Amino acid sequence: MMNSKKWIVMFIITVLILPLLLAACNFTLNPFGVFGQDFLTWHSFSETLNPRVAKTEYLEEHHNEYDSYIIGCSSTSSYPVETLNKYLDADFYNLIMYGADMWDVEKTVEYINENYEVKNLVLNVYIDNGIHYNEGEDSLNDKLHYKVSGKSGAAFYIKYLFASVNYSFDKLSALRNDTELSKPFDVFDEKTGAYDKRARDIENIGDMGTYLESYPVFADYPPAAPDMGKISECMESVKVIKEICEKSGINLYVACAPVYAEYLQHFDSRQVKEFYTALAEVTPFYDFTYSSVSCEPRYFYDATHFRNAVGDMAAAYMFGDKSVYMPEDFGTYVTRENVSEHVKVYDNISIERQDDIYTDSVPVLMYHHIDENADSNSVVTPDNFESQIKALRDNGYTAVTLDDIYDYVYSGTDLPDKPVLITFDDGYASNYDIAFPILQKYGMKAVIFAVGSSVGKDTYKDTGIVIKPHFTYEQAKEMMDSSVISVQTHTYDMHQAQDYEDDEARTGAIMLTGESEQEFMAAMERDLTQAMNEMQSETGYEITALAYPNGEYSDLSQHVCRSMGIKATFTIEPRTNVLIKGLPQCLFGMGRYNVDDITGKELIAMIG
Amino acid sequence: MAFTSVTFLGFMVILVILYYMIPKKFQWILLLIGSYAFYLCGGVKTVIYLLLTTFSTYLAGIGLGSLNFKFKNLTSEEKKTIKAKIKKSKQRIVLAAALFNFGMLYMLKYWAFTAEVIKSSAGFALYVPNLLMPLGVSFYIFQSVGYVVDMYRGKYEAQRNFAKYALFVSFFPQIIQGPISRYNQLAPQLLGEHSVNWDQIKYGIQLAMWGYFKKLVIAERAGVFVNEVYGNTASYSGSMMAAATLGYCIQLYCDFSGGIDITRGAAQMLDIDMIQNFKRPIFARSLTDYWRRWHISLGQWMRDYLFYPLALSKGFTKMGGFARKHFRGTLGRIFATSLATFCIYFVIGIWHGANFRYITYGFYNGAIITASLLLEPTFAKIRKKLPINWKGAGWHFVQIARTCAIVFIGRYITRAPRLLTAFYMIKMSVTDFRLSSFTDGTLFAFGLSGFDYIVIGLGMAVVLAVETYQERGGEVRKTLEQKNPFVQWLAVIVPLLVIILLGAVDQGYVAAEFIYAQF
Repeated sequence: MMNSKKWIVMFIITVLILPLLLAACNFTLNPFGVFGQDFLTWHSFSETLNPRVAKTEYLEEHHNEYDSYIIGCSSTSSYPVETLNKYLDADFYNLIMYGADMWDVEKTVEYINENYEVKNLVLNVYIDNGIHYNEGEDSLNDKLHYKVSGKSGAAFYIKYLFASVNYSFDKLSALRNDTELSKPFDVFDEKTGAYDKRARDIENIGDMGTYLESYPVFADYPPAAPDMGKISECMESVKVIKEICEKSGINLYVACAPVYAEYLQHFDSRQVKEFYTALAEVTPFYDFTYSSVSCEPRYFYDATHFRNAVGDMAAAYMFGDKSVYMPEDFGTYVTRENVSEHVKVYDNISIERQDDIYTDSVPVLMYHHIDENADSNSVVTPDNFESQIKALRDNGYTAVTLDDIYDYVYSGTDLPDKPVLITFDDGYASNYDIAFPILQKYGMKAVIFAVGSSVGKDTYKDTGIVIKPHFTYEQAKEMMDSSVISVQTHTYDMHQAQDYEDDEARTGAIMLTGESEQEFMAAMERDLTQAMNEMQSETGYEITALAYPNGEYSDLSQHVCRSMGIKATFTIEPRTNVLIKGLPQCLFGMGRYNVDDITGKELIAMIG
Repeated sequence: MAFTSVTFLGFMVILVILYYMIPKKFQWILLLIGSYAFYLCGGVKTVIYLLLTTFSTYLAGIGLGSLNFKFKNLTSEEKKTIKAKIKKSKQRIVLAAALFNFGMLYMLKYWAFTAEVIKSSAGFALYVPNLLMPLGVSFYIFQSVGYVVDMYRGKYEAQRNFAKYALFVSFFPQIIQGPISRYNQLAPQLLGEHSVNWDQIKYGIQLAMWGYFKKLVIAERAGVFVNEVYGNTASYSGSMMAAATLGYCIQLYCDFSGGIDITRGAAQMLDIDMIQNFKRPIFARSLTDYWRRWHISLGQWMRDYLFYPLALSKGFTKMGGFARKHFRGTLGRIFATSLATFCIYFVIGIWHGANFRYITYGFYNGAIITASLLLEPTFAKIRKKLPINWKGAGWHFVQIARTCAIVFIGRYITRAPRLLTAFYMIKMSVTDFRLSSFTDGTLFAFGLSGFDYIVIGLGMAVVLAVETYQERGGEVRKTLEQKNPFVQWLAVIVPLLVIILLGAVDQGYVAAEFIYAQF
């Protein structure tokens, strides 16, 4: 029993305790990462909630690892720090803050200059910086750290102490659902500060139709009516930043990020010209805003953000690296002197694509075994094989090499007319005995993806079970020395046969039942390292391409390949590949047509 | 100032503390100030309508009061001669007050619709002023006109103090959505002196919490689903439309009754008891019973101030006589009453708003209730013949289910964007009922997760459990008092956490995924 008076006292106490509980929860779980304790610190999660605040906290601990910064709104992420490090021999941190306006940037530059060592500063000025200025200070997700903004620390901490408990819940559920590659709740890479685009940079990009299906925003671009009413405020801040850099001896590089042409079209061209003219008054800058890149959606992650590959082009332009492909109209160094001439380009924004200049289609053929007895769809008789190769040559096809397609994508070297890439999986002796001489005879070239563990074997690993014979490393070297054949990897031992294995067989580059992502990645890295090392030591040739056993792969295996230096991966998905200059990821997850025991004529009909 | 805003909570805390601290004779003044402050928060301009209603009905009250007084002091001789004259004057006053106020309501709420109908049927355009709709206008006008009619009937003395009368019209917890109170029930409490009554404060808090639970936890969630389906009727299967209509039944009940509970709880904290507006409509056994349990104060208002005057009016009495002569049996006997009943429900329908959907809704209710009145003798005969236990739980259940079905269909009409859409949706619910749309993930495309549906389901289970207990005569708050302190504490902390975590916490919160989606 409790009388009503006591009940009300109890009620009031309970109600007052709730905010304390909330504060305790926010302090302990620390979703925004502002309370500094090490327990449950998760920079990437906090940076996703509010990059301004969380990155300030991160740098507090880690600023010694960096000596240079790149800063600006979200498009800043796409200038890869690795590339900048290479060109400037520096340690860059990407201080991208989504939605950042120039006020945020000015305050942040002031702060890092006062507190940390800064050698180089790359300032990204995006066209949106003319629209917004000093906004979002009242929102948990957009405000600056109080140390940066110079506002009240008490108000700052109170705000985060009493933030919605949902942020803490989100952190708990994110901790449970976290994966190796980024999820929407942890979009930043802790070390570089940039968006974690590992998954986005290995997705296969090819023909436009498929791309528009995956990114419908480009098919039906949303209308907008941006008003650049904040140009003078923005430029005042740029001026302050420039003065800080001059005073402190910081090398300042100003770049204007590529803008998707249909977005740019929505702007008032008078304002756009005013924007760049005003910028040139303050500082010289590299302008990448509009070029043929702007008209190609495949160079963009979404409606407004250009891809890291384009960031590489921009860096190459800025630091004079001629080896990297970029369209001729990409980039201009704009100064006070040439700005009036330069801004004329904004009078007439065209969104016409001329993709025949920078794209090419390459069908890839997939063979396995050559044998008189063509008893399955992966075996072709020697006669039919020869008729196929002859038909290709007679119909004007040129068999290209891996280097040809690498050069096309990385350096923009055009491919011959009617290119075709011929590939063989598994590394059977018949490839050496039968296919090699026929290819040589017709002046064609091919790639063989050999399974490392079965090179030179006619039994299944250590079991003694008889399998089709495979060529040896000597034979591989001989074929490669002839430059007719390039031997690449079909993994070292991820093409197991379940019938011959005691445990669950690894039949492709995907996770086994119950295997964690980390275990899988470690296993695949071990496997590839062994394949690469053995090839290197046995033949002296390097492995740069991989075909997935049984076509089984995932984002994770694609990522492992890329991180191990593989430049192209092949699937068994029957489609023609569209290669795009300057976009290396179009070489990941390439499609291949399986060639059955058909005649040459039938083959031409199939790929034509 | 929405009930669900933090401002309102702060307002209530300050008001309650001041209320019990100041001298008791000033308490009503504080309530008046508070009520106008509350109303002004919703808009400054529209307060003029509130003042107009208050002033006009105040004057009518005074006029009627003095006529009543005059009448009472007449000698029995004089009464005979002047009675008719006084009655006529009183009628004029009532008529003037009613016409003025309902005219105002008509202009505000129904004129645009009338103009539109005239334009589409007769082809000429009428001037439609762009008027701001005052908050709670239908409620306070009905309440004030009720007072005027009561005065006409000589039920009580007129309120001569304008400020005191203004408090009756504008009392803040009820002004937005009722209940429509009676002067003799409410005014003495508003104007009386109140000592701290801990029981009342406690009950008020508990009732308000119950209201918040229904409103924030259940109704808001259900609304997401309902709005999506009703907003895009072309994209969903019939079964989804039926599910959304069920969702709307849940949303409407929890939102409206929850709001009333907050109203009554807030008043109770001030030691003021307001009349009940909902009495567990889910247990209604007939549509008539439903209207006795749903929005009770509106039904009662209609009964007292519209039905009786109408049924007892000369025209209706004559019509009744005519019907008895010309129609045989039951029909003749109840014809006039049935017609009056039909009119009432028709008006209740229109009260909800100005468009064909509400007109149809009124017609729908009126037709069903009138039909059941007329057919009652036939049903009675059938009941005698069938060997069914008409008092058993089974039949009760059938009655409840039947009522639910009727109300359910009515909801299509009130919620659909257009009348034709409502018919289309009812048709689709029958012809396109696909169970597969419950399993193919459509349910999760509305912005609600599986967890949200569980919350709605469990929430409704709690509501139904509590209402079943109440229907059987249990009093939740009284029962709770008997429990040990720990249980009582649990009964505070658990609902508070549920309301905060499942109801209020999303305000001002932006999920990371959302941020990422828009950057």
